[in-house]
Amino acid sequence: MLEITNLHASVGGKTIIKGLNLTIGQGEIHALMGRNGAGKSTLSAVLTGNPAYTVTEGSIRFNGKDLLAMTPDERANEGLFLSFQYPVEIPGVSMVNFLKTAVNAKRQYQGLEPLSASEFLKLKREKEKLLDITSGMQNRSVNEGFSGGEKKKNEVFQMAMLQPRLAILDETDSGLDVDALRIVADGFNKIRTPKMSAIIITHYERMLDYIRPDYVHVLHNGRIVETGDAALAKAIDERGFDWIEDKYQTD
Amino acid sequence: MQRMTEVLRDKRDATIDLVVDAGESRQVVLLSPVNVRLSVRQREGSTLSVHVLSLTDADSDLSVTVNQDEPHCRTQLYGLALTRGNQVVNIETHVLHNVGHGTSTQLFKNALADTSRATFYGELKVLPDAQKTEAYQTNRNILLSPEAKMRTRPQLEIYADDVKCSHGATTGHLDTNALFYMQQRGIPLAEAKRLLLLAFMEEVVQTLPDEPLQEEVRQQINKRLK
Repeated sequence: MLEITNLHASVGGKTIIKGLNLTIGQGEIHALMGRNGAGKSTLSAVLTGNPAYTVTEGSIRFNGKDLLAMTPDERANEGLFLSFQYPVEIPGVSMVNFLKTAVNAKRQYQGLEPLSASEFLKLKREKEKLLDITSGMQNRSVNEGFSGGEKKKNEVFQMAMLQPRLAILDETDSGLDVDALRIVADGFNKIRTPKMSAIIITHYERMLDYIRPDYVHVLHNGRIVETGDAALAKAIDERGFDWIEDKYQTD
Repeated sequence: MQRMTEVLRDKRDATIDLVVDAGESRQVVLLSPVNVRLSVRQREGSTLSVHVLSLTDADSDLSVTVNQDEPHCRTQLYGLALTRGNQVVNIETHVLHNVGHGTSTQLFKNALADTSRATFYGELKVLPDAQKTEAYQTNRNILLSPEAKMRTRPQLEIYADDVKCSHGATTGHLDTNALFYMQQRGIPLAEAKRLLLLAFMEEVVQTLPDEPLQEEVRQQINKRLK
């Protein structure tokens, strides 16, 4: 469903991704590990179409379509969802209004009628029940004054509302204590369908104890240098990244 | 206490003089005025609130002058302008604290699209006899296009020493991080901008005296943002 070929990308004139290849099939979970600056978050920014990043070479196909030719909202409505590392606060825009606009934008993209107010509320309640969260958060402005844990929970809630085909969890574990991490990971596992794919970006193996990856990739210097299964994440947890980087000193 | 609300719609080329009598409370809402000068004199302990909501395509010079002539007056001025095309809107306020124990707050927000231009000139004068005055002025502007131009000139003259006064003026753009966040959730860019602008203006809309009027103004803003 996602096919990245020879991707090169830069931000602020600096090349971060240097020839990355990655193929993700339907229903697969891929973990992306690596040090700060290896290119993990740049990849999620490029996939979602963040205007600050420039693709200089390569191609990305998503559901057989040219992802790079699409605007950020088209990519989202094709089923790409990013759980932000730093969810943005939007004062004055209520969560409910924001979510309703997003859900109906997707329906319009799919050629469906917008949900009525009561249909929307029903869907919202369903997802709140599924994730065992109260609706208090939804009456506030988007992410405004939310704690770190609340923000990440809110990302998962939005994911539940939008039912993506491919979810990217960008360092969802950063800044979360173990309990909050478990709640967020459990939420993700509840939302997950056999057809949904995911990219889990993380420094730590801990996250992968809750969300079991089918593949683990190590990113180094803008490229995937090592691919394995959960055992690779275990090895990184025990031995760090040095031994992998030593193998790829040539750059 | 008497309380009066006046909503003046589409007032054109007019000069309005008002006196708010002692102890009175007066609310004036100018909805889409064009070339209107409002001048108000406040007597002891009176309260005045004025809204200047510029939501038309016409070029316009708007001015509000308030004289606090007797002690313990309260003044609140609010303004919104949403300019577009080649439009030019000039907004002036003159708040004169002639005597003491008065308060005034001003909040003016403008969003400028296309090649439109706007100015905010805010004169705030605290005269020597106006001790114990509290006066605040805020002007926030958003430029929606690189060709739009905002000029803001806060003009504070303070001749009394026992007062609290402040002013702040900022001109910026819509938050690109917020726009991207909304787009990542499937909301088209134009709609994301509309939501952010509505949020920006809501701070002023909320201060309107009643809910039906707030709703009327929201709809007018919405229509202009389409």
